[in-house]
Amino acid sequence: MNIFKTNYAILDLIYSAKSYYAWSYLAYFDLKLKYRKTYLGPWWVVVGMAVSAGLLCLVWSTIFNLDWRNFLLYLFSGFIIWTWITSIINDGPEVFYGSSALIKAYPSPPIFHVLRKSYLNMLLFLHHLPLILILLLIMQPEINIRVILTLPIAMLLIFINSVLYSSIIGIISARFRDVEPTVKALMVPMLLLTPVLWKPEMLGEYVNYIYINPFTYFVGIVRNDLIGLEFDIYIWYGAISITFIQLIVFLLIYSKKRNRIIFWV
Amino acid sequence: MTSHIKLKNVSLDFPIYEGADFSFRNKISSFGRLSLNKGNDNKVRRVVRGLDNLNIDINTGDKIAIIGPNGSGKTTLLKLLAGIYMPTSGEIEINGKVNSMIDLGFGFVDDATGYENIMLSRVIRGESIRDKDSIMSAAEEFSGLEQFLNLPIRTYSSGMKSRLALSSALYSVPDILLIDEFFSTGDLEFSKKSRSKIKEIMDNSSIMMFASHDLSLIKELCTKAIYMKNGSISYYGGIDEARLMYEKDYS
Repeated sequence: MNIFKTNYAILDLIYSAKSYYAWSYLAYFDLKLKYRKTYLGPWWVVVGMAVSAGLLCLVWSTIFNLDWRNFLLYLFSGFIIWTWITSIINDGPEVFYGSSALIKAYPSPPIFHVLRKSYLNMLLFLHHLPLILILLLIMQPEINIRVILTLPIAMLLIFINSVLYSSIIGIISARFRDVEPTVKALMVPMLLLTPVLWKPEMLGEYVNYIYINPFTYFVGIVRNDLIGLEFDIYIWYGAISITFIQLIVFLLIYSKKRNRIIFWV
Repeated sequence: MTSHIKLKNVSLDFPIYEGADFSFRNKISSFGRLSLNKGNDNKVRRVVRGLDNLNIDINTGDKIAIIGPNGSGKTTLLKLLAGIYMPTSGEIEINGKVNSMIDLGFGFVDDATGYENIMLSRVIRGESIRDKDSIMSAAEEFSGLEQFLNLPIRTYSSGMKSRLALSSALYSVPDILLIDEFFSTGDLEFSKKSRSKIKEIMDNSSIMMFASHDLSLIKELCTKAIYMKNGSISYYGGIDEARLMYEKDYS
């Protein structure tokens, strides 16, 4: 098939799938290096997260007069997923020009650097996950066994979207440096607009507006089953649709601009 | 297996971007101007031709030196063959496993130890690191850095860093070996040692291309020479002839 021989996006994806060991090793190494010289190591993030989510819960339940027991798990899990999503969105723009020395010195395809970064972000999420599990053990909400299946699928879906998004935004922002500050500025209000710090039902009649926000879907697919919320098939449809849209944009932009990245970084 | 490299009308252009070219606002405003005023100078994209219409056939057994002044395209040619750059036009045919020794030590992490950096650079090159012990002992022996290999490389001197960089690249015999000049680094003992090791790898690889300014070294290692000038191959053939042309042009 001709398309497979000439399309860089597909060729690079095949190459990267084969060199799985290389980018996952590098991501693991980045993680190790990040915490070297610290006493608590990776647990610093967990401590930080626990403190901020705990305080948020305290403030929120006081202001809104909510039952904190009910809210704690929701807020914690949402917050941890949101942290993953934020790091994907914020790291995306610099994924290529942050690796410019490597891009200019080694022939590995550009998507290799995207996979390294995306995998690192997923590893970070994985070591926040025990925090939710501990809370689940304490709170013991009713959880459908389905979560064993949906959690890995949801994580895989976010990982795939992270690779697609970072490749697209990485190319655009390597060419136009205004993109990175714009994206970072947008992420702060996005937290307020996404059902992480509040529950959708608090919006009353405006509840349907949450579906305009793409982050609603990705937070939802991980969180809802994990903490025993009602299963919502529409958020899965939403997340899968966004993945397809990103895939098409990725195939177009990456195949066309892949060879120019080296001149921009 | 026979290896070969074949370039057919290969050119490579470098687009030049500066400050404002990276700004989105600039792009939008210039887009507006262009649509109003066609033929505006802004439409001319600034491009530097890095390699100009190269045609060359290289076969098994060729040990080729690339000579020429700075900026003539020596490293660019090597990077093109290594697959780091893709040609703007023309065709490249490469048969054989390529190992490039260009920009050695790029991507080294200052906070990681010498050992870790050797592993990292191997992984980035797509090489296996399963046989950890033998990689380590080879690196120890070749670099001569011994206990320093356990220290983060931010504590290294630049000479030590280049020893490490060289050790990380010298591990296997590829079909096609691409080397950019780097012999000036390291002390006397190390230069001698690295030369003999590189010579061993060079002798065993089927094709070798070596960019250098060191004419005596070229005579020792290579059988042919390419003389590059302004991004094009000005001469390809015997070392002495290439050297004469080079000297004539710049005397």
